[in-house]
Amino acid sequence: MSDTQTLALPRNPPGDLAIWFFIFAELLAFGIFFLAYAFARAKNVELFNQSQLLLNRESGMVNTLVLITSSYFVVRAVAAIREGFSQVCARWLLGAIGLGGVFVAVKLAEFHAKFAAGISLHTNTFYMFYLSLTIFHFMHVLMGMVILGFVAVKARRGGYSADSHTGVETGASYWHMVDLVWLILFPLVYVIR
Amino acid sequence: MQYQSQAVAKPYFIAAIGLFVGQILFGLIMGYQYVVGDFLFPALPFNVARMVHTNLLIVWLLFGFMGAAYYMIPEESETELVSPGLAKLMFWIFLIAGALTIVGYLAVPYATLAKMTGNDILPTMGREFLEQPLITKAGIVVVALAFLFNITLTVLKGRKTSVSLVLLLGLWGLAVFFLFSFYNPANLVVDKYYWWWVVHLWVEGVWELILGALLAFVLIKVTGVDREVIEKWLYIIIAMTLITGIIGTGHHYYWIGTPEYWQWFGSVFSALEPIPFFMMTVFAFNMVNRRRREHPNKAATLWALGTGVMAFLGAGVWGFLHTLAPVNYYTHGTQITAAHGHMAFYGAYVLVVLTIISYAMPILRGRAANSERAQVMEMWAFWLMTVAMVFITLFLTAAGILQVWLQRATDTPLPFMAVQEKIALFYWLREATGVVFLIGLIVYVLSFFAKGETKAA
Amino acid sequence: MFFFLLFLALTFDTQGVLPKRDHRENITDAVVRGKHIWERNDCIGCHTLLGEGAYFAPELGNVYKRRGPDFIKAWIKGQPTGVPGRRQMPQFHLTDQELDDLVAFFKWTSEINTSNWPPNIEG
Repeated sequence: MSDTQTLALPRNPPGDLAIWFFIFAELLAFGIFFLAYAFARAKNVELFNQSQLLLNRESGMVNTLVLITSSYFVVRAVAAIREGFSQVCARWLLGAIGLGGVFVAVKLAEFHAKFAAGISLHTNTFYMFYLSLTIFHFMHVLMGMVILGFVAVKARRGGYSADSHTGVETGASYWHMVDLVWLILFPLVYVIR
Repeated sequence: MQYQSQAVAKPYFIAAIGLFVGQILFGLIMGYQYVVGDFLFPALPFNVARMVHTNLLIVWLLFGFMGAAYYMIPEESETELVSPGLAKLMFWIFLIAGALTIVGYLAVPYATLAKMTGNDILPTMGREFLEQPLITKAGIVVVALAFLFNITLTVLKGRKTSVSLVLLLGLWGLAVFFLFSFYNPANLVVDKYYWWWVVHLWVEGVWELILGALLAFVLIKVTGVDREVIEKWLYIIIAMTLITGIIGTGHHYYWIGTPEYWQWFGSVFSALEPIPFFMMTVFAFNMVNRRRREHPNKAATLWALGTGVMAFLGAGVWGFLHTLAPVNYYTHGTQITAAHGHMAFYGAYVLVVLTIISYAMPILRGRAANSERAQVMEMWAFWLMTVAMVFITLFLTAAGILQVWLQRATDTPLPFMAVQEKIALFYWLREATGVVFLIGLIVYVLSFFAKGETKAA
Repeated sequence: MFFFLLFLALTFDTQGVLPKRDHRENITDAVVRGKHIWERNDCIGCHTLLGEGAYFAPELGNVYKRRGPDFIKAWIKGQPTGVPGRRQMPQFHLTDQELDDLVAFFKWTSEINTSNWPPNIEG
């Protein structure tokens, strides 16, 4: 049974179909937000460039690496469950959640520094976007961690198997989406000038 | 009819249709006042007619929602309603309170009504759509609580389905957000900010959940498609609704004194608001195409498909038309807003209530579907009203574009009244199509009395 | 849910900065009374205020700047005009005190920072 399934052509989207509607919607929301950013920037390049210099690119870079690594962990988790190794899967997932925690900690430190410097949504348009986009994404990271948490607990209890692990794929898809958004957000807001 | 207690829905549906007729008559009076300004003045000033027009709309839709819930919930929960008696009692309380309120609007000047009903104790009146006297507002809360109590307990004791859960969530949300109508701070900006929590979070939030549940229920019944399939669609649609609709409230926070970042938030999220409506259209057509049986009630299917299409056009397309802040800067508070309001309310809420009535009413009257002749009349009514509404919307849009052009987006703006006179032609056209709408409505009402052979339920 | 939290967070932030935009320190007792007069005569049933209301009669958010206090009072007193076929505004029998309060409300409203809306004085 499992042989025929692995040998068959890749099934269309892994995980629950509903999550793909979500992912599509989320990407659309972020996409439009990014477009709006580009639009606002075009009208005020000076301001955006100047404000951008004050961002902490090191912490952004660290977080990029952290998220990419976490995505790799999630890939390993899915690979493990496809072989039927529940405990291995759970451990990779916990690793990914841990890295999510690192991201959150770094981000919080960054927010703290910004707020301490008196920066708010009203400082200027650039900061409005910077804070909105990063906080919006930050909440998605938290959400992703919760989802992965549920999946990890279920995996640890042996709730998935090589044949039936839609839940793992669903959670993984969501996490990759969160990672993908950051991979666009980071260069766009922190780097590109 | 599978459960006896479903019968309580009938008076709710009848009242809904009756009040709908009243709403349209007042709409025609207002449309006429737009061109012949002193028509019926001072007996019926425009503001009173408008109050009656909009309040009747809200009340009859609420009657429709409640009737729908009383009809659907026993069937979904596979159990009798907890208290049919309470449902009947609440019907009469709501109807009498509503009628008294309307009589109050018409009989005495609004300021007198405010004084008589104790508006000085807690001033909540005189805000758009929330004009009801304090006691009426309190009455609405009482009726809503008794209704929710009845419905919720029924769901709890019976089978729990996605349709009934979504419906419950929508109805509870409706009641909770209505509480903001009691909050009326002296600061106009704050007042407006939370006023939208009733108005926007109703029509672009929780009401959409009700809409989704009603549509899903009727589609399950008339198409025979698997419940699982329809429920999955329903979940995705309501998730999209909440994702876009809640922060989409921001599109009302552009020019009322709120911070400028709302122009970004409002534009981004409300630009996505057409998506759930588009999905609803696709959903409705998809389910009907995949139908597993031919339900004898063809009219109900037509109303359901119409809901999908018209909700998408009215709420989705016409909403998107002026939702982006730079556009809205010019169109805010013009006839464009009126055009959108008319088609969105008709497409989304009027049609969905008529859909459920069309499906449920024959069954409540002891047959699976109405006679061929009655159904043909109903379909005629659908097309007359829908086409009329499309034209009303188009004429108002044309009027709105001209208004923006002459009064807003120009170096030599004309005063409001001068502009109104220049666009009077479109108001005449609107009024004429309004008459067509009324004819459609009359045909609709007559369809209930059409004779002919029917099959037993 | 999550979007509702975000909405609440934005609401909280908005509440924080509103005082700078609505100049609430200028809300005198007269302004408060004026708002009640505005409400209990259902002015919103014909007019718009900051673009919200009915579209039958002119925008009044900036009427103070467009017409000035004396014109507003004289206009309200002089209603209805009785011009045949023209849109009519009822006579509300406001006292001089009430007219002053209403004007105070219009004055305060016209000073709200509305991000430069309406586009011009005609509203």
